[in-house]
Amino acid sequence: MSHDPHLLRTVRTGFVLLALSLPLGLTLEALHAWKVEVYLGSALRRELWTLAHAHGNLLGLLLLVFGSLGERWMPSEAARARAARALRLGAVAMPLGFFLGGVMNREGDPSLGIALVPLGGLALLYALLCAARASRAA
Amino acid sequence: MGSASSVSAPARLLALFALAPLAVLLGLAIGPDPAALRAAAPLVHREGGYIGSGSCLACHPDQHASWSRTYHATMTQRPEPQRVRGRFDGAELAYLDQRAVPLERAGKFIFRIDDGVRAREAEVAKLVGSRRYQQYFERIGTGEDDASFRRLPWLWHIEAERWLHVNTIFLGPDDATPDAHLSRWNENCIFCHNTAPRPGMEIDRAPAEARFDSEVAELGIACEACHGPGAAHAARHRDPLARYLQSAEADPTLVDPARLDASRASAVCGQCHAQRLPDPAQRIRDFLTKGPSYRPGDRLEDHVKPLQRDTPPLPGASEHLFADRFWADGTPRLSAYEYQGMLSSPCFRGGELSCLSCHAMHRGDPEAQLAPEKPGDALCTSCHAEIGRDVAAHTKHAPDSPGSRCVECHMPRIAYGILDLHRSHRIEVPDPKRDAELARPNACTLCHLDRSSLWAVSERARLWGLDATPPASRGDGAPLELPDALAQLLSGDAVQRAVAARAFGRPDAATPARERAAQVTALLLTLGDGYPSIRWIAKRSLEQLEAQLSLGLGAELAQFDTLRGLDERRRRLEILLEALARRAPARFDAPRADDPMLAPDFRWKRERVLPLLDLQTAKSRILSIGE
Repeated sequence: MSHDPHLLRTVRTGFVLLALSLPLGLTLEALHAWKVEVYLGSALRRELWTLAHAHGNLLGLLLLVFGSLGERWMPSEAARARAARALRLGAVAMPLGFFLGGVMNREGDPSLGIALVPLGGLALLYALLCAARASRAA
Repeated sequence: MGSASSVSAPARLLALFALAPLAVLLGLAIGPDPAALRAAAPLVHREGGYIGSGSCLACHPDQHASWSRTYHATMTQRPEPQRVRGRFDGAELAYLDQRAVPLERAGKFIFRIDDGVRAREAEVAKLVGSRRYQQYFERIGTGEDDASFRRLPWLWHIEAERWLHVNTIFLGPDDATPDAHLSRWNENCIFCHNTAPRPGMEIDRAPAEARFDSEVAELGIACEACHGPGAAHAARHRDPLARYLQSAEADPTLVDPARLDASRASAVCGQCHAQRLPDPAQRIRDFLTKGPSYRPGDRLEDHVKPLQRDTPPLPGASEHLFADRFWADGTPRLSAYEYQGMLSSPCFRGGELSCLSCHAMHRGDPEAQLAPEKPGDALCTSCHAEIGRDVAAHTKHAPDSPGSRCVECHMPRIAYGILDLHRSHRIEVPDPKRDAELARPNACTLCHLDRSSLWAVSERARLWGLDATPPASRGDGAPLELPDALAQLLSGDAVQRAVAARAFGRPDAATPARERAAQVTALLLTLGDGYPSIRWIAKRSLEQLEAQLSLGLGAELAQFDTLRGLDERRRRLEILLEALARRAPARFDAPRADDPMLAPDFRWKRERVLPLLDLQTAKSRILSIGE
């Protein structure tokens, strides 16, 4: 296990993300089981929260993988730090944006919280570029 | 400290796990409730256990999607831009001395109307219809407790992509009266174009001053129109344990028409597809205040009396009020009487036929909503299997010809509605003798367009060994020797003429196209009919024949507008007749010397035709029926 503080923080964030997203999935399943119409009756809310659940889990797993293996193929600590920060930011912003987008949403549009999704997407893209460059240099 | 840390870690984890569910609960609590929003929409009620199709969507997305693509779903709509089909482009519309300009202003749809009496603007507040044509309604009620809507005089024909005046879609003569058909939504359309209607009429007022606090469970024909109110069903199935413990038996909290007996299943459709009166008729006040009492699963006849030919007319109304809507043998001749037709069919009376034997509400083509697993003749041969095994032995026609299609003989297009002719839902054996004597179109001669009733009777006797007794006379007074469809078109009443005009355009008629010069000429003469809806059907048939035969009349036909004034129409008609006489020799076989309609030079025989047209005006009363 790495002792790089950036990677350790990334692993912790990954666990937290999973600890939030897994119960979110269970909660959504419960809403289905009890046919809670305020959730099921809004197709947009269902889609956004399902996306929040899926992105939270997948990005949480990605953070765990990055935190565990990042040091192997990214020897530059500075590059690791940049990529880890951007990855954490994107991994949190994206599911949070999907979730908030489905809170005060209108019938046809998500609420303004959805703005976090493209920001998170950009952060993830930046993390990918940093990681790619760093691994190429290695 | 070590032990304090070990206690706090699981607590922190637990808090973390609880965060998402708490956030969900908070989000649901502060976010909008879609069901509450739908219930709070104008004109919507939630009484009687109705919850609206949005609540069904939550658990039945496939059924909701299959319903959403039907025309039932879009029967009544609010005037949102994506739902308005008409062209509100500011171009002027004209019919007789009626004028209007449809235009869009600031997202609203407006008619600037000049009906010859006064000029005004009317804003579209409601849309009715989405398949054949779309009608427009303005709100005339003032105040929150008066939701009255009135039909505007212009409608958009979706297929033809043009405006029509409402007076021209009925089977009635040209009529410049501005408000001849400007009915109120609240006491007419509301009943069959919406779910769980409650007209809310204030009954103590004079009819002209009537006010309506109308509400419906849902605009359009939605889930609960056929399945009944859904609140009890939704409540029962909210508990997942109860859901999974429920047996495969029918759910008593909701109606599945497929599980009902044939009569009750058909009543679900019959609540709208059967023109009817409250029974007893005195209950009309209840209908106009609280709405129909029928609920899916009931016997329809416990609530209403479906109209029949012998239904006594309403007090003060014409003695023909209801009789005109049926052929003389009681077969319905307008649409929206399918239930009466089906109930009088031997397949229902002696069998197990129901509407659902042929129609599927959640499957197949939304146009006819026929069961896709029974294509074509399989609708009939799924029961009449022995006929299906050797169709030609039953039909005595080539197996791949229209004469071997079940519906062509047993469900001919003899019911008028919405500017078209629809299949009779009284499934029966063709009887040319009866039909000639009763002035009713006949399935045989609607295909064999150049043949008389006498021929049809003798062929029926030859092919099937049935009674060969010829008809004593024709009910419409035309000579028996005349081709039956031609006699109907020239001498029949309005419904007969409409049926024949439609038949003359059919591309699959048994009469070869090159031998149909007489029918083309008759159709051209029908462009002079006094009923605009019949002119419309005749023109459409001519357009079909033009496409089949390349008559060279396309340009002249396009110039003929069935809504124009008499002088203009007459001028255009003479041009068309002249053009046909010029071009016919190259496209048609020469008329026989004894042709009842045409001289050898393809000009119509005035001395033969005019007496037939006189029969039309002398014998038939003016009809004004059937939208």
